[in-house]
Amino acid sequence: MSQVSAAGHSHGVGADHPALRSSNISMAPGAGTGLKSAFIGLGVLGLVVAAIGWFKDSTHALAAFHVGVITAITICLGATFFVLIFNLVNAGWVSTFKRQYENVMSLLPIVALLMIPVFVLDALDGHALYNWMSAPAHGDVLLEKKTGFLNPMFFYARSAFYILLWAYITSTLRRLSLQQDRTGDKWLTAKARRTSAWAILVLALSSAFASFDWLMSIDFKFFSTMWGVYFFAGSAYVGTATMILILALLRRAGKMEGAVTSEHFHDLGKLLFSFTVFWAYIAFSQYFLIWYSGVPEETAFFHMREQGAWPLVGLAVIISHFALPFVIMLFRGIKRNPTTIAFFAVWSIAAHVIDMFWVVRPVAHVGAADPVGWGMIWIDAGAVLGVLGLLGWLIVGRVTSGPLVGVNDPRLGESLEHRNYV
Amino acid sequence: MSFGHTNKVYTTESGEVVYAMVAEFETPADVYHAAEKVRDAGYSKWDVHTPFPIHGMEDAMGVKRTILPMVIGVIGLTCAGLGFLMQWWMSGVDYPLMTQGKPFATWQAFVPITFELGILFSAFTAIIGMLFFNRLPQWYHPLLKKDRFLRVSDDRFMICIEAGDKNFDPDRTRALLEGAGGTHIDLVEE
Repeated sequence: MSQVSAAGHSHGVGADHPALRSSNISMAPGAGTGLKSAFIGLGVLGLVVAAIGWFKDSTHALAAFHVGVITAITICLGATFFVLIFNLVNAGWVSTFKRQYENVMSLLPIVALLMIPVFVLDALDGHALYNWMSAPAHGDVLLEKKTGFLNPMFFYARSAFYILLWAYITSTLRRLSLQQDRTGDKWLTAKARRTSAWAILVLALSSAFASFDWLMSIDFKFFSTMWGVYFFAGSAYVGTATMILILALLRRAGKMEGAVTSEHFHDLGKLLFSFTVFWAYIAFSQYFLIWYSGVPEETAFFHMREQGAWPLVGLAVIISHFALPFVIMLFRGIKRNPTTIAFFAVWSIAAHVIDMFWVVRPVAHVGAADPVGWGMIWIDAGAVLGVLGLLGWLIVGRVTSGPLVGVNDPRLGESLEHRNYV
Repeated sequence: MSFGHTNKVYTTESGEVVYAMVAEFETPADVYHAAEKVRDAGYSKWDVHTPFPIHGMEDAMGVKRTILPMVIGVIGLTCAGLGFLMQWWMSGVDYPLMTQGKPFATWQAFVPITFELGILFSAFTAIIGMLFFNRLPQWYHPLLKKDRFLRVSDDRFMICIEAGDKNFDPDRTRALLEGAGGTHIDLVEE
């Protein structure tokens, strides 16, 4: 009978639900220390490798580090976007694990601070990354026309502004959520929704402009109005993937039983699938218009990525970021099985890293005989795994810091009874 | 109704062929549990009629998942591929036309139409396949002759077991439906 009438209609189910028993939704003290040390070990080791790389080829190491930093930022931006959307649309099905989204979200301003070392290293390296700041670029008419926007002062000020905005949004939403844990005030949900309403606009604009500044300006002649969307598509994709991975690991640790089920994985899998498609749609649309119109400043971006072995990397992006996951994740069983969808979560994060690698790293060896720089690919591995190791360490710390579920979320009942029916 | 009447054909007192036996239920829960009993009794040609969808009814009825998604996937991808081939043949082979100095057969230019054709034929397959697997449209259905059946669009829940089912037996089927709590159990003529 419960299947018939209770499904999807119950509200305000409290802590009496068996899935919400304390042992199921909180980590034992000291839990996750093994994983935490593994991540910090990976982080430190990776960054040491990258630091050695800096002395071999500073520009290569800088670009590689930037790939890692951008990947980490997109993961947190994706989580932030979803928290805002879930608040805005009163999403019920996520309430058993929205706290995990908020955990990753809360790391956004911290991870974004890694842009400071990027800027410092860039300056030390004679602005090899943002070469519009370096002397040889001065006098270029295309840069002169943009100096009102693209000048170092305004650039750094904007970057600081994005991070401050993100810090404000993410800390406000996290505070409201944690406050609800303590007070049980249902109206905090409505308050979070009100905050999300303006925050989503701010986040859309700030993340788009951040992508213009931090990625698109690497080639100051290049411009694409699609760039912000491209960046967002990748963020939402990798944010969903990270969430699936966190939940699969928690389930593996014997937690969240009955709170996060195949039904939730199924819907998260659908989101992952849809953002695979959305990313491909945006990426192709961007390429297609540039290919058709053939404006030199725009085509130069793709021309640069047609040198040497870069087309192979591009092909790897298309296959790993779209073609393969698209075909396989079409199948329902793949999305419902926590193990297979967790595999694709890891896969998606790797695919996104390759995508960011393809976006950022060509700047390192322009005009070289080996424009990819295969001989020093270990620097990329070190830098990316180093930054992601740090992020993993931060995430595990956040996840284990409190209850795994926002226990006073008024929509918990909806999530506990969540089913797909198809 | 069914193909190959291997089992017995039952007739009513007036000599009409029996189509099915129906039973009424008052609540979603009643019909849900009755459906479980009918499923467990091994019937295959039967259906539940309700005024609104009842969550979990597929499980209670033991209905297998439809193969429609597979059909849509295969036909959608095939038509996308054929659409690509069509454009390649038109622009690259049959009537090459210089456009913007691009090569004749460029995959880039073919992607939007390939994509759209994939979507279009997937949508067609979804609609037509849905109708086909549901055996729609049906211009006539014996159940619609029964006045009481009209209440399934209002406040009644009905189970209908077809006489073509291999387990159908007027007495045993009636007993099953009675045991499951059905009321107004009646035969429906073809």
